[in-house]
Amino acid sequence: MRFLQAIHIRQIVIVLLLALLVFMTLVPILFMIVSSLKSNAQIAGNFWGLPSPARWFNYGEAFRTIWRYIVNTVAYAVIGSVCVMLLSAISGYIFAKKTFPGKNMLFLMMLAIMMIPGVLTLIPSYVLYENMGLTNTPWVIIVSSAAGGQIFGTFLCRTYMAGLPGELFEAARMDGATEARVFLRIVLPLSLPILATLFIMQSVGVYNDYVWPLLTIQNSRLQVISVGLTIFTQQFGVTDKGTQFAAYAISSIPLLFIFSFGMKYYIQGMTQGALKL
Amino acid sequence: MRRTPQILLALALLIGLVPQYAAAQGEWSIEGADDITSISAMGDGSRIAIGSHGSKAVVYDKEGTPLYEKEANNVINAVDLLDDGTLLVASDDRHLYAYDSEGTPLWDADMKRQVKSVSASEDGSVIVAVVQRVNDLLFMNGQTGEQIGAAAIGATMKTAQVSDNGQWVLAATADQYLHLLDGTGKPLLKIGASGQIQSIDITGDGDIAAGTSDGRVELFTSDGEPAGNIGIQSSVSAVAFSKDGASLGVADLTGNFYIFDSSGKQLWEMKVGEAGRSVEFSPDSKTMYAGTDDGRILQLDVSSVVAEAKSQARMRIIAWTIGAAAAIVLVLLLLRWMQRRGKLGIFREIWRSKWIYLGLAPSFILIFTFLYFPAFSGLFHSLYQWQPGGRTTYIGLDNFERMIHDPYVTKGLVNLLILIVTGLIKSLIPPLIVAELIYHLRSKKLQYGFRTAFTASMIIPSVAGLLIWQNFYDPNMGLFNNFLHLIGLGSWAHGWLGDPDTALWALIFIGFPFVGILQLLVFYAGLLSISNELIESARMDGASLPRIIRSIHLPLLSGQFKFLIILGLIGIIQDFNSILIVTAGGPMDSTYVPALQMYYAATKFNDLGYASALGVSMFAVILVITVINMKFIKSAEE
Repeated sequence: MRFLQAIHIRQIVIVLLLALLVFMTLVPILFMIVSSLKSNAQIAGNFWGLPSPARWFNYGEAFRTIWRYIVNTVAYAVIGSVCVMLLSAISGYIFAKKTFPGKNMLFLMMLAIMMIPGVLTLIPSYVLYENMGLTNTPWVIIVSSAAGGQIFGTFLCRTYMAGLPGELFEAARMDGATEARVFLRIVLPLSLPILATLFIMQSVGVYNDYVWPLLTIQNSRLQVISVGLTIFTQQFGVTDKGTQFAAYAISSIPLLFIFSFGMKYYIQGMTQGALKL
Repeated sequence: MRRTPQILLALALLIGLVPQYAAAQGEWSIEGADDITSISAMGDGSRIAIGSHGSKAVVYDKEGTPLYEKEANNVINAVDLLDDGTLLVASDDRHLYAYDSEGTPLWDADMKRQVKSVSASEDGSVIVAVVQRVNDLLFMNGQTGEQIGAAAIGATMKTAQVSDNGQWVLAATADQYLHLLDGTGKPLLKIGASGQIQSIDITGDGDIAAGTSDGRVELFTSDGEPAGNIGIQSSVSAVAFSKDGASLGVADLTGNFYIFDSSGKQLWEMKVGEAGRSVEFSPDSKTMYAGTDDGRILQLDVSSVVAEAKSQARMRIIAWTIGAAAAIVLVLLLLRWMQRRGKLGIFREIWRSKWIYLGLAPSFILIFTFLYFPAFSGLFHSLYQWQPGGRTTYIGLDNFERMIHDPYVTKGLVNLLILIVTGLIKSLIPPLIVAELIYHLRSKKLQYGFRTAFTASMIIPSVAGLLIWQNFYDPNMGLFNNFLHLIGLGSWAHGWLGDPDTALWALIFIGFPFVGILQLLVFYAGLLSISNELIESARMDGASLPRIIRSIHLPLLSGQFKFLIILGLIGIIQDFNSILIVTAGGPMDSTYVPALQMYYAATKFNDLGYASALGVSMFAVILVITVINMKFIKSAEE
């Protein structure tokens, strides 16, 4: 009886410890939500209290200033991620299931890119895009995310598709299906989970990217949310802290959306990436 | 051993590292001349005429012996020597003068206003003059000095040039346009330049060069199509084509003289004085005359430079031909060999796989253009002073040397070291503790719940998270100082980010309690993969919980540790996002890291070569870490 009690107490201690840590981890989020409903005077006068009255129109004002950044970023993220999915699915399938001359060499070339850190290519890439006239266009974000993301994507897809049963493809081919049909009708549907993982990881990556758009996009109509959050205060003359916090909260909505649907896939991608590389 | 330096020199010559040598044959100066405003060489090369700011026009023979000297009443803006030895002089004293080959005055035309430029074809059939504040280009009669015509340009002109054969007339206006006319004054076309035009020249074929005040020389064809764009160090003061149009001489206001070939490739460069003012080639292109702002005229033997360029071009063609022939022969031999061995099937295989290659093509085109190319470009340009679209000069290891002496980099390295040590502790210890705590929970539901709760912090965009933390440090409205007041430690309140002593530590503290999601998931997955029997049997033997963690968990998680350490190192070396957003490197240099200095070198100072060198150095460090890691893992596996 006493033994059981000891275990119980230990469990309770663990739960309490974890709860405290979770609370501390989430302090920024909680603080953001509470402060987003206050005015500057309320923050200064009643720092720890709940907002009273709650200034809901902070959100309206914040939305008016940053909606364009969010729309831009979501568009770039979706287009870029779809490109990554397509490229990775094709390359992954070819590297997983086909034999052809030069396969190993080509695959090594992909592998070698993983050794090149972003810090080496950041500035030369900027010059390259600038010379190609791609800076200050949506393409600078989309192309770079497609080119960079497909490497990791190809690895994920290759591993996943190598595990698909080859007999299935054989059978389809016997029935007279063309290669394109096999790919579209069998490979893609069977690979949906890994493609979803890829889509979510890639779009979250684009959504959080800061330095690249800062470097390559000057036009504020095309700017992304990460940079937008750091400039909208000066650009629209927002001096109200509450409105700023409301803007941060609004900028979280797309991520909240994608994580509530795809947290499972995201975690899968993260751990799989960690274990495979 | 003694041959080594020679071999090295030969190699250096081969890749063009050693600048070609141009000997100053002669140098003479004109007393009280100040700027040399204009130089003109006679068609047969036997004489040159010099016009100077000090109102003197002097004609020399090609050895540099003065033949005669003429003085005007004001600055001489332009001189031109015709084939028959006639000398034309344009001066700010509002006169245009002509002298015969002996120096006897032929005529003297009073133009009523300052004469800014005169230029003539070699036979003297076409003579144009630019007069101050007149929007017409004046055509003169070489025999009498009378004005015989005018071409309306519609804007004030800075200078005008007639091609040697008299076929083209080119005028540059103050509003940055070039007007091309034919020898009779009929307008042909109008070309816009990108800056204030300082000097122009045109060849017999109608190739145009225009030097601008922002340090560019723009080349155009006679159709007005851009043919090249050369960047030099400062404002262009003079441009001149050689008679064959194959070389272009340029002078700038920092005293540099250059020779380019017709495609804009630099052949030669030399710094002579404080400022270069004028250039002219001898008709055989073997000598370039360079005039400075202190009245000196240098006679530079550039034949070796030009000849070198020509022979190099020829050598290149020969080398390419030989190379191509050798390649064809090799391919043929290879095919032959493969045929004998019966290995030609590979081509059939390649052909059969054509759809596969087509499928991979988009991926690999992107990979080569946008990933490999920038990487190599970075490696390459770290040895250059790199200004895209402008000058790119090879400077060897200067960028790397500069890095050692850059105080921001040394300060940054110290900061980086602190960030690495704290960063590794942050990214390993708290996630491990949390993973152990979750692992030891009995209820699966609670395990899942807590795991999800920790990952919930991902819903904030990372930039928003950083900005919220920046706000926490606000001296007046920030969470920290308010918290300190709340618990009675108000005297500790502080401008955390504004104080150079605390800024770096404030940055490090961001993200408290440091439960990294990736790290947590990796450790947690690692713990789950440890077999239960192992722990049960240890428990049977009476091992306590700390003992189990120390002797079973930690050794079995060594792979995870290694992975996270490498990932952390690589990430921390490259990361400057958070610093850029929260402190931008300040206050003063207290939060600089090398990666941030790289970003600033590229964006603030446009010093892309230096930025590349910093990038390459960090790449080298990361590469060493990766290689050590691979060796490490291999030896551990064996």
